[in-house]
Amino acid sequence: MATFDTKNITKIHQALHSHLPSDSALRVKALESLLVEKGLVNSETIDAWVEAYSEEIGPKRGAKIIAKAWLDPSYKQRLLEDATAAITEFDYHGHATAHLKAVENTSSVHNLVVCTLCSCYPFSILGVAPNWYKTAAYRSRAVREPRSVLLEFGVTLDDKVKVQVWDSTAELRYLVIPQRPQDTEGWNEEQLAALVTRNSMIGTDRDLNSNRGEA
Amino acid sequence: MDSVHDLGGKQGYGPIEVDEPDVPFKYEWEGRMWGISSCSGSSDWTIDWWRHVREAIDPVDYLTRPYFDSWAQTELAAYVDSGVFTLEEAISGKCQSEAFEAPPSITVGEAVARDKKRDTSFEVEAVDAPRFSVGDSVVADVVASSHHTRLPAYVRGKPGEITAHHGAHIFPDLSAQGNEEGQHLYSVAFSAQDLWQDCENPSDMIYLDLWESYLEQA
Repeated sequence: MATFDTKNITKIHQALHSHLPSDSALRVKALESLLVEKGLVNSETIDAWVEAYSEEIGPKRGAKIIAKAWLDPSYKQRLLEDATAAITEFDYHGHATAHLKAVENTSSVHNLVVCTLCSCYPFSILGVAPNWYKTAAYRSRAVREPRSVLLEFGVTLDDKVKVQVWDSTAELRYLVIPQRPQDTEGWNEEQLAALVTRNSMIGTDRDLNSNRGEA
Repeated sequence: MDSVHDLGGKQGYGPIEVDEPDVPFKYEWEGRMWGISSCSGSSDWTIDWWRHVREAIDPVDYLTRPYFDSWAQTELAAYVDSGVFTLEEAISGKCQSEAFEAPPSITVGEAVARDKKRDTSFEVEAVDAPRFSVGDSVVADVVASSHHTRLPAYVRGKPGEITAHHGAHIFPDLSAQGNEEGQHLYSVAFSAQDLWQDCENPSDMIYLDLWESYLEQA
């Protein structure tokens, strides 16, 4: 049974700090072998989860949701009103998306998502969070100097565009609905989804016209 | 807990490496750790206890070791704390007691299906009426729990406005101590100019989801 005691856990961390190998790969390997030897997990199941989050569960899901919202105003309405229910229509509900909120970019508003306290992220629709999202640099700066952060990602904002930063401090998770690129009338869901970047659904990308390429 | 994990607004970090390869796992061990975390854990842990164990990592390690490395350390420490591993086992990676019967393996398809069941709701039935309504002016508490809390330092003592009420959600400060009680949860908007003397643009807003006991009527 957990002690829920900060002092106890700090003591354990200190002991681990002194005795664990420094190499992260060795640490994880030791943890996996111990869990397997104890009969608590099995390695094939770990393989399955790695594969699931490498191939099946990732930002392509989010991109389909965004494309649908661009094409179908009533779907966009449902997404804005209750995003958890709206992603369930695609069967994309799951890990960390029971309390999902969609926030919409417009010509006068830009949304940016961060978790300053840890690394909260809507896994079942965006997959594993990018490394930069979990760094001290992003977590510290996104709330204090969002425009400088955006500039580093190549996003330049006019002073008239208001920035709304969403710090995921509770179990709510956020999905940014980027603006639909111009001149895409008549495009189908698949074509539109191909324009949606992972970063645009976090808010570190804005103008999706530049991603059009050969589409 | 006032430690280095509470990063919002802290200075001296950056720039951000924006051009990392767009892959879920850069190194194989990162994928292993993700996979381990997806199928392990102990029934006595709450998500907030897990977060507290992670934020109690030595501050230098927290800031300098790789991200998924901190998951490995969190998991090891939490298992030792729960008595599932001895410290010697955690350090050696060798089991020194009788093993459990291993669970059957699952396929990728089963993992994808199982992920759909991980949509754990944190909403619980409210036992009392909400103290605040949308539009209310509030001030965030100046002091916070020295155990786990989700009231970041950068908004403490600052004025904000309630923009949404989400019903009662499990209160992290108690859940991290094993007590899963609900409390009203609100979205609160803070103006950048109330948070930062040198704010980039006075029209910018920062939204946080905060529990009722973190807030006072302004």
